[in-house]
Amino acid sequence: MSGRAEFLESIRHRTQAGRYKPTNAPDVAWTRKGEPSESEPIEDPPARFIEELEALGGHGRRVGSLDEAREYVLDLVHEREAKLLVRWDIEELDELGVDEPLGEAGVEVVVWRDLVDFREVAGKADVGLSTAAWAIAETGTLVLEGGLGMGRTVTLLPPTYVAVVPVGRILRTVPEAIEKYAGGEAGGLPANVCFHTGPSRSGDIEMSLFVGMHGPGDVHVILVG
Amino acid sequence: MRVALFVPCYVDQINPEVGVSVVRVLRRLGIDVIYPEGQTCCGQPAFNSGFFDEARTIGRRFLDVFERERFDYIVCPSGSCTTMVSHYYPFIFKELPEERERSEVLGERVREFSDFLVNVVGAKDLGARLEGKAVYHCGCHQRRELGILEEPRELLVSVDGLELVEWGNEELCCGFGGTFAVKMPAVSTAMADEKVKALEQSGADTLISGDSSCLMHLKGRLKRTGHDTRVLHLAQVLDSNEGKAG
Amino acid sequence: METEDHRREGIASRVEGFNDRARRAVHDQQLHDSIELFTHKSVAGRNAVLNALPEAPELRERAYHIKQETMANLDRYLEQMADAVEARGGNVYFATDGEDVVRYIGDLARRKGAKVVTKSKSMATEEIELNRRLEEDYADLDLEIVETDLGEWIAQLAGDTPSHIVGPILHMNRKRITEVLSRTAGEELPPDVEALGSFARRRLREKFVTADIGITGANFGVAETGTVATVTNEGNARLVTSVPPVHVVVMGIEKMIPRFEDLSVFVRLLARSGTGQKLTAYTNFITGPRQMGELDGAEELHLILMDNGRSKLLGTEFEEALYCIRCGACLNVCPVYRQTGGHAYGSTYSGPIGAVITPLLKGNEAAKDLPHASSLCGACWEACPVGIPLHDLLLKLRNQQVEEGLAGKAQEIAFKGFEITMKRPVLYKISTRAGRLAQKPLLKDGSVRPLPGPLSAWTDSRDLPPLAEKSFRELWKAGI
Repeated sequence: MSGRAEFLESIRHRTQAGRYKPTNAPDVAWTRKGEPSESEPIEDPPARFIEELEALGGHGRRVGSLDEAREYVLDLVHEREAKLLVRWDIEELDELGVDEPLGEAGVEVVVWRDLVDFREVAGKADVGLSTAAWAIAETGTLVLEGGLGMGRTVTLLPPTYVAVVPVGRILRTVPEAIEKYAGGEAGGLPANVCFHTGPSRSGDIEMSLFVGMHGPGDVHVILVG
Repeated sequence: MRVALFVPCYVDQINPEVGVSVVRVLRRLGIDVIYPEGQTCCGQPAFNSGFFDEARTIGRRFLDVFERERFDYIVCPSGSCTTMVSHYYPFIFKELPEERERSEVLGERVREFSDFLVNVVGAKDLGARLEGKAVYHCGCHQRRELGILEEPRELLVSVDGLELVEWGNEELCCGFGGTFAVKMPAVSTAMADEKVKALEQSGADTLISGDSSCLMHLKGRLKRTGHDTRVLHLAQVLDSNEGKAG
Repeated sequence: METEDHRREGIASRVEGFNDRARRAVHDQQLHDSIELFTHKSVAGRNAVLNALPEAPELRERAYHIKQETMANLDRYLEQMADAVEARGGNVYFATDGEDVVRYIGDLARRKGAKVVTKSKSMATEEIELNRRLEEDYADLDLEIVETDLGEWIAQLAGDTPSHIVGPILHMNRKRITEVLSRTAGEELPPDVEALGSFARRRLREKFVTADIGITGANFGVAETGTVATVTNEGNARLVTSVPPVHVVVMGIEKMIPRFEDLSVFVRLLARSGTGQKLTAYTNFITGPRQMGELDGAEELHLILMDNGRSKLLGTEFEEALYCIRCGACLNVCPVYRQTGGHAYGSTYSGPIGAVITPLLKGNEAAKDLPHASSLCGACWEACPVGIPLHDLLLKLRNQQVEEGLAGKAQEIAFKGFEITMKRPVLYKISTRAGRLAQKPLLKDGSVRPLPGPLSAWTDSRDLPPLAEKSFRELWKAGI
């Protein structure tokens, strides 16, 4: 075992003393045979987002209003015969207004605040509901930030997960999304940022796709606007 | 134009007819061909086995022998041996400024046979004729270090009577790898079998390559497994005039 | 003591064993089929997504240069990352070797009174055999350590080790997997992916929600922000870091990247090269423990920065081996790996990168045969998303063995003789003439008969062509 100073000193010594100069920067051109489809400008980001998400086995829908979004969520909850929905505690989702109609229909809604045992709640929920900080068109990705009222497990433990995202938050590319968090120091970053792309999956058994491995297998994104 | 031939040692000793074909093809293009007789081997077997000192000694000799001659290019009927000189001499002489510079200067002028024909001479149709259905195997050094992929094909499609067909996993190594073939014989042979299988599936009756070492390995396995596939170096194909007068 | 530690660390189990294991592997048809299925799909997937990314060659170049710059200043970046993590309320520990890591985690588990530990796939912890050593050295804690990546879990249940960086159980077919999971279930499970996957989901879910400590590796560590990035498709790393109150990261020091924006280069290359995806399902960034008011996410974060032999490569001609991002692309394209699978290498890391880093981390003596387990075809170098010249590193390792006197007397004599012969054309001519005479009685049907001795390695499975009656130089002299 060594202390921090000693550990770093031994590395400093090695990085600086008589450095070997590698001569082999990559000089084999990566051959390109296919059409450069990703280089085409993304003309309609919401449409592309939905296309990408559906290619991964998720479900995407663009709606014109919050009312339509609410209907989608209500229908989904009924279709899944859900008993318990857990959602982020944020204003946007208050405004979505699913709590009351679901309660009336006998579905319990738990809002992510002051929980005695979050594992119990998120673990039992049939549906998780959140929004997203950003969405990425080229990959069908949701960018989820952790934070007050924005539980990580809401998007992870329930078998069905639905996100309601205003179209204004759609970015075109992965680098654009990373750019949103770059350039600062640690102070500015949420403790967790997750790029969530489609249903949880595994290919470990003979490369056959198994959907819903540990996270949700049933993923819905409603783009509003 | 004057060309110095660099004939790999195994071509010299085992497949001299490949060297003869190279000479004939070059002369037919009006090129003046010389053969520096002091040449032996480029040292690659020692180098690949990690015996860099021994490879350096042989490399120095190679530089001496060729530097004495006057020529525009060195032409070699092997992507692998070309790479040894053009890429790996500077690598083993990295710490020796004088030899490094000499090897870089000479390395610039070493060209693999098909690269020379297509990119230096600008020749594509050499008027060859050969009946057959063939697959082409590109040696790994030629493919990756030299990046000479299209040139042999361009030359082969112009051969009258020859049908060039695709085969599976054509980018896979044949399993020769120099001393690898005897150090890891089971894996090496299994790699050759992979190629033999692809060859069978292609329905080709002829196997062509720009590297006699790959061909020696594949032919060795083909023969052992009862295949009578015709195995030819690119130079032999370009030199053939089956059924043609003169 | 030292030799014992040597044996206990799992990175290289046997000396001179590759050939024996490889010979068995090439005759195992089931293994061959499994490898082919995996590597073909992986290579095709990778090619498709990379071909569709026009800036891929430029990203590769940038990745190489970012890593080069990182290694030249690694001390500074390690310090910066440690400061950033501490500023966010995390703990940082510098571990010289696997022993340090085991002790730190074992002591932590004791302090926390931990019973269940969940782990997401981590090659760094495989390298130091963390699970076995915790179970042995901290037997009194009676820890239940559970791998949560489906493949890793099945390997753990089967008492097996991963045979591929990305596809740990590609060597097992469905029949074998069904056997393993049925034994765990205590009932016969049907051999279909839905049933097997669902069973694993249920079983592992119980572990996820009761775990006291979660352990992950790190795909990347960001110096600037103290962020740890994990990349999975199953979501297990996100669960392991979101549910248990304590999260331990075991990060090899070479996983460092300087800036958050560099992730833009690396996550795109890793997903494409590793699994043929544009992004994996869960690309997760953890910066410190959960913040005030958050209900989930670990309350405590422990970042272990592990050296375990890496730093001695810094500034040397082998430094590029540290640029590896563990995508597994070099394994998938390697014609040797495709014949033998990962276990033949007898080390945690297999394929070309394994053949390079195993002797570098463990010493040439411990993995003498691995640098020779390559035909030097360069497919690995071509596939590497960071442009590591893997086959050149293998050559340098072979040279190092020669210089350390590990090549063996027979080879030394042979290549000395080779050098002397090739230096003098006269000797070259004499020896080839002698060869021609000597082979005469051995010829049959245009080939040399199967030979005894060292050349049998060739002639046992392949015909050997004879020396020609006249060499090229003789033909030239006679006039062509």
